Amino acid sequence: MKKFLMIGSVLGAGLIVACQPAAEKAEAPKAEKKKLSKYEKFKMALAKQDKYQKACSNPKQLVPEGIDIKTFKKEMLATVKFPEGGVVGKNIKRGEKLFGDPKKGGKSRRGNCYACHCGDPKIIACGNIGPTLRGYGNKGIDPKDTYIRIYNSWAVQPCSVMPRLGYHGILKPEEIADIVAYMHDPNSPLNK
Amino acid sequence: MRRKAILATAVIAGGAVLGTFAVAKEQLPTHLKELLELGMHPGHVFADEGNDYYHNLKGPNGKTCASCHGQDGAKLVGAYAKMPRYYKDIDKVADIDLRILSCMTKYMGFDPKDKKFKKKYTKKLRVPLATYVATLSNGMEISVKLDDPQEKEMYEYGKKLWFMRVGGRDFSCGICHTVLAGQRIRLQGLPNPVKQKSYNHWPAYRFGSDKMWTMEDRVRSCFKAYLLSVNQWDPKKDWVKKPPPYVKEVIALELFMKHASNGGVIEVPGLLR
Repeated sequence: MKKFLMIGSVLGAGLIVACQPAAEKAEAPKAEKKKLSKYEKFKMALAKQDKYQKACSNPKQLVPEGIDIKTFKKEMLATVKFPEGGVVGKNIKRGEKLFGDPKKGGKSRRGNCYACHCGDPKIIACGNIGPTLRGYGNKGIDPKDTYIRIYNSWAVQPCSVMPRLGYHGILKPEEIADIVAYMHDPNSPLNK
Repeated sequence: MRRKAILATAVIAGGAVLGTFAVAKEQLPTHLKELLELGMHPGHVFADEGNDYYHNLKGPNGKTCASCHGQDGAKLVGAYAKMPRYYKDIDKVADIDLRILSCMTKYMGFDPKDKKFKKKYTKKLRVPLATYVATLSNGMEISVKLDDPQEKEMYEYGKKLWFMRVGGRDFSCGICHTVLAGQRIRLQGLPNPVKQKSYNHWPAYRFGSDKMWTMEDRVRSCFKAYLLSVNQWDPKKDWVKKPPPYVKEVIALELFMKHASNGGVIEVPGLLR
C-alpha cells in the first residue's frame, strides 16, 4: 500500500513538473492579448498602413504621390509569389467558391468578386465598379496576367480600387491559381 | 437611320439624366414612401422612447435630462445642428453619442467607470436619446463651425482619415464614397456623404437590418469591410472589425462629413433601405 502511494506521489509530482512549462507557454500569449484594448488594436491596425497605401492616400486616391509609377509597379510586381503548380490551378470548384459561392448567391468573404464584377449570368446581384467578367476566358488574356492582377492589382495599376488580395495574404497563391482556373476554363459559367 | 440614332442617343441621355436624378434623390422604395405617408415611420418609435428617457430616466442624484435642458427639450432646439463640436466642460470635441454619455456621467451622477451602466447606455439608451435630441433640430440647417482649434484639428484629422487607404482591402472612406460614389457594390448604391449633404437624415432607421443607427454606428460599421488586423488578417483570429465607440477617429470622421453637409436641412429620423 505504501509503495503504491509512493509511486503515485512520484508520478503526480512528475506530472506537475512536466505540465508546468506547457501551461506557462499556453498562458503567456493569452496574457499578452489581454493587455491590448480594442482601441489599441484599432490604432495598431491603422498604423500598419504600408508605404504604398500611404502614397495612395491623397485626395485623388487613384494616383500615387511620392513614388513614380514605374518604380511603384516594379516594386509591386516583385512582391508577387507564384504557386508551385503554376498559375492555373486544378481545383476549379474551389476557385468558383472563392470567386463567389453560387449556393450563397455569389457571396464569399475573401474573394468576393461579385461585389464589383459581374460574372456567372445566374448571379444577378453583382456590382458595376469593375468591368464585367462575362466571357473573360475567351478574350485571349494570358492566365499569368490574370494571376498577377488578382495577387497584386497595384503591380498593373497603382492605387487601383481593386484590393491586393494575395499581397495582404487574404488569398493564398494556390487559391488565386484556382480562381484563375475558374476564370479561364472554357466550361466555366463565365465563358459559356 | 440617322433619325433612329438620334432617337437612341436621346433615350440614352434621358435615361442617364433620370438615373443620376434617382441616385441623387436617394433610392427610397415605394413601400417605404407609403409607410411615411401613413405616418408609420419605425424611427419615430425610437424618438418616442428617447422622449420618455429624457423626461423620466433619473440619474443616481435624482436629475433627469429635462431638469437641466427644460421640458420637451426646450434648451436643446438646434443643438444637434452644431454637433460635433468642442465642449468646454469635458474639454473634448464630442458627437451626440458622447455628449449625452458625458451629460449622464457628469451631471446625472452615473459612474463613468461602471461597466454595466456604460453597456446599458451604449446598447439601450444611446440611440433613442440621440434620435430624440436630433429631432429637436428638425427643419434647421446644419451649421458646424470650426471656431475652436480642437475642432479644426479634428476636422483635419477626419479629412486625413477619409482618404487614408489601409487594411487588407486597401480601402479608404473616399474610395467607396468619393471615387466610386454613384456606382454599386452588388446592388447597393454608394452615396456620397460629402457632396450630397446626406448627414441631414441621420440618425436613420435602416429597413434592411431593422435597426436604428446613429452616425457613430454607421461609421464604425464601415470599418468591417476594411479587413483590418493587428498582424495577419484572419477571419477568426485576427480581425479588428470596428473601432470602439466614442473614439477620436470616429468623431473626427463625423465632424468632417457633417461640416461638408453644412446648409443641409435636418430631417430625422431618416428612413433607408
